[in-house]
Amino acid sequence: MARLIRTEKEVEGRYTEQWVVVEEDPLDRWPEGPLEVVGRPAARVDGLQRARGEARYTADLALPGMLHAAVLRSPHAHARVRRLDLAPALEAPGVRAAVGPGDCSVLVEEAGYQGAPVAAVAADTFSEAQAALARIRVEWEVLERLLDPEEAVARGELIEEASRYERGDVERGLAGADVLVEAEYRTATVLHNALETHQAVCEWEGDGLTVYVSTQWIWGVRKDVAKRLGLPPDKVRVVCEYMGGGFGAKNDPGDHTYVAAELARRTGRPVRCALTRREENLASGNRHATVQRLRAGAKADGTLTALEGEFTMAVGWDGFVSSTAGPMKMLYGCENVRTVELGAKLTTGPNDAFRAPGFVEGTFGLECLLDELAAKLELDPLVLRRRNGAEADPVNGRPFSAKNLAECYRRAEPHWARREAVRARSEGPWRRGVGLASQIWYGGGGPPSYAWVRVGSDGRASVLTAMQDIGTGTRTAMAQIAAEELGLPLERVSVSLGDSSRGPYAAISAGSSTTPSMGPAVRAAAADAARQIVEIAAQRFEVEQRVLSLRGGRLVSEDGASWALEDVTGLLEDGQILGKGSRGPNPTGMRVLTFGVQVAEVAVDVETGEVRVERIAAIHDVGRVVNPLGASSQVEGGIIQGIGHTLSEQRLLDPGSGRALTVTLDAYKLPTIADVPEIVTDLLDVPDAHLTSLGSKGLGEPPIIPTAAAITNAIRDATGADVRSLPITREEMLRALREARERAFAL
Amino acid sequence: MSARSLSRPASLEALDETGVPLAGGTELVPLVRDGLVEAETLVDVRPLLPRGIEAGGTSIGAGTTLADVEHSGEVPNALREACRLAASPQLRAMGTIGGNLLQATRCWYWRLAFPCYLHGGDRCLAREGEHREHAIFAVEPCASAHPSDPAAALLALGAVVETTRRRLPLAELYRLPTEDDRSLTTLAGGELILRLQLEEPDASVYLKAMDRQRWSFPLVGVAAARYGKETRLALAGVAPIPWALGSPADLDAATPLPGTGYKVEIARVLVDRALAAVS
Repeated sequence: MARLIRTEKEVEGRYTEQWVVVEEDPLDRWPEGPLEVVGRPAARVDGLQRARGEARYTADLALPGMLHAAVLRSPHAHARVRRLDLAPALEAPGVRAAVGPGDCSVLVEEAGYQGAPVAAVAADTFSEAQAALARIRVEWEVLERLLDPEEAVARGELIEEASRYERGDVERGLAGADVLVEAEYRTATVLHNALETHQAVCEWEGDGLTVYVSTQWIWGVRKDVAKRLGLPPDKVRVVCEYMGGGFGAKNDPGDHTYVAAELARRTGRPVRCALTRREENLASGNRHATVQRLRAGAKADGTLTALEGEFTMAVGWDGFVSSTAGPMKMLYGCENVRTVELGAKLTTGPNDAFRAPGFVEGTFGLECLLDELAAKLELDPLVLRRRNGAEADPVNGRPFSAKNLAECYRRAEPHWARREAVRARSEGPWRRGVGLASQIWYGGGGPPSYAWVRVGSDGRASVLTAMQDIGTGTRTAMAQIAAEELGLPLERVSVSLGDSSRGPYAAISAGSSTTPSMGPAVRAAAADAARQIVEIAAQRFEVEQRVLSLRGGRLVSEDGASWALEDVTGLLEDGQILGKGSRGPNPTGMRVLTFGVQVAEVAVDVETGEVRVERIAAIHDVGRVVNPLGASSQVEGGIIQGIGHTLSEQRLLDPGSGRALTVTLDAYKLPTIADVPEIVTDLLDVPDAHLTSLGSKGLGEPPIIPTAAAITNAIRDATGADVRSLPITREEMLRALREARERAFAL
Repeated sequence: MSARSLSRPASLEALDETGVPLAGGTELVPLVRDGLVEAETLVDVRPLLPRGIEAGGTSIGAGTTLADVEHSGEVPNALREACRLAASPQLRAMGTIGGNLLQATRCWYWRLAFPCYLHGGDRCLAREGEHREHAIFAVEPCASAHPSDPAAALLALGAVVETTRRRLPLAELYRLPTEDDRSLTTLAGGELILRLQLEEPDASVYLKAMDRQRWSFPLVGVAAARYGKETRLALAGVAPIPWALGSPADLDAATPLPGTGYKVEIARVLVDRALAAVS
């Protein structure tokens, strides 16, 4: 019987309660370590399709009669449309429709940032649509700009009320400290720049709408589009079979989807609305800049007595205040903690979730501050961190479902022990050093999520679920899980995903949750099919069910007899075995978190300010690892993105106009392959005994979290310079070196 | 793209002033696409441009790609290094050495078509705006930085430019913008660079500071070429045009903007290192 329970749901630290239906019969946990397929490196099941250009992305779609949209965006950081005349655009060659404010809910009269969408045109070709935009007559009333987050806070311009947190008595903690450190840390606004820009193709068929869209959440798009357009959700089909990255900026349908839907409705044709790279860098979200004023106090032995932080975030015209104070609240067992988070409302592009939003920024500040504290205490930074471990969640006292941070630290020791040898390799102007930083994050996933498994008479299995693989390799991981449970080799399992009309509801791919949300549902569906196969085989071969198991594509009896799977399923001819599975709840009253530590080795040219990251060892605990090869790829991607934020990426605005200056990939400097250091990945691969039948957590975000602080701490180790502002450009590095020299001279 | 046609003249003599010459296209195509260069007609000059390295590496056809120069065993080290450290392998395989000398600035105000001085406006917007990538010399009336690495190397190597109309020292290919003429080169309409001739040095080197390890324009590039006891120095990324430095002490005369002082610091170090490398 279906059992209905009330449970907690967490997405990136935000908790809500929900009802969920629980399976009667929970599965046994798999043993630790590599199994037959799960836990063993698997090349991506769709790798060849992607490499050969056969995989069809939203960008590849060319539907018959499809029109192309171009969007008129505000050239001003803040302006109101006084008058807008679409008529000249409608007369331009190839133009089929034009819409402005009032025609489509996302087109605005008051533009709060450069790039805000104001009007749109659909034409036979994209260049015709772009040319037509220039004909739209628009009269702007330029309004006041506000670009500086600290000024916004001073003026009370906040996106939401300040978020305050306090535990213990910070004043007493500070008064009781033997050593105090206080510093201001800053991080820059950085951009996602996924390879595939935001885009959608919308097509109406009768009263139903099909949305082909580059998205991290098929079902979220379905729900939001249906709601905003007043359609029953069943009338909205959402498709995303392959996707070129999202990093958090593709959780929602986005303005482009609504523009395409409205223009498609007006023209009766499919319409593509795809952002150009420049639009992508203006109006598709960002990681907001932060200013962090931090204080820490400790006893002489390193025991933390107080942590205090004021975090100001440059959120933008819209967006959300990400939990930058999270690491300070959660990472260490300090009794006295006080934080305030202030989200500044500015006339800049709205922020959006970006790979561990808040925690990347907050970990940079906290973990650098801890190294400043260690230096003042003359204590090994690793010792300081070990001394302040939290046994239970310091925020709410809940036990952790699993916490193996101590084991991560132990595995970090050989990397940390390299620092004498690394420093000794300093030569001429090149100073070398080693730094580390800890990582804490969510990543437990949760219900609801469903999968179906279909086994044919040929003994092959298909997993059907309307989830998405946003480029992380979850399609492969799901195939591995189903193959393991069905005792099939990986090549006999295929996965059908990416279409809301071809499978059941699946969770969002955000918050490091796809594998922990979907994996248990896929396993349950495969187990349901496997149970039926065993039951059928027991009847056909007149053996007891309990002696049968599925291994290597065969039904194996305890007495050594075995039958090929297709000899069982083949009995059914066109018949199929259908299994269904769902994701159960997370453990009640527990905190499900991921932990880790990274150790960075850097070389700094102290004369020119050049910083080279030479090696990063990444040790993370994310529960069971389904695909070690895919997992190391995730770790490498996170670290490389982290290196970009640390050393070279920043969105610059013209202070005079509020317009963005770094909107192309030559000006906005992502790391290239030449900037990538040696990366050593070490995942603990210990199933979380309290979390689902799989024991897996997510890995999308953890690897980017500690990278900036580990690098910055390594720079301090190498040079004695305190870098407190990202990115560490040449000028920032030289400034910090000069300050360190002056400080040394003053002593 | 807004260009309407592509012409393929049979000879250099058939060139006129109406079209815009296209060689590698790595710079011109984006500029036309972004509306920064008006081109009714693009003129494919690739078949007409001399391509190749002759005379022991001292004569280089303008159509020679940066990749060709980078991989040549004969070309002086400074120029080879300047090519190797420029752009990306894909761009170097297409981009020509002649075209590289004529690159426009990377100044974001200019590239994004702000009404800046170089675009005919009344003032340089970078001076009071974002200018971390900008100049430390000749910052008035325009503080843009010249992006070419090979230009600095060729300047130090005493390059002479042969065009369809004249021969001139490389330094004379460039000019600073003035109130009535905002252009940064002295090339006339329809005039094409054909060949570069340089003087074989006893030793030469090119050192570059950039924001990442590859595919980044120079924050500071320093070329040094030694001829007997004399060493010539030239800098990239520090002025609106490639900048010859009479002596290291000339860096004292730099007039950086508030946000480009660090470039002077880097230039001093790279100049010292370059001098040590060629001595």
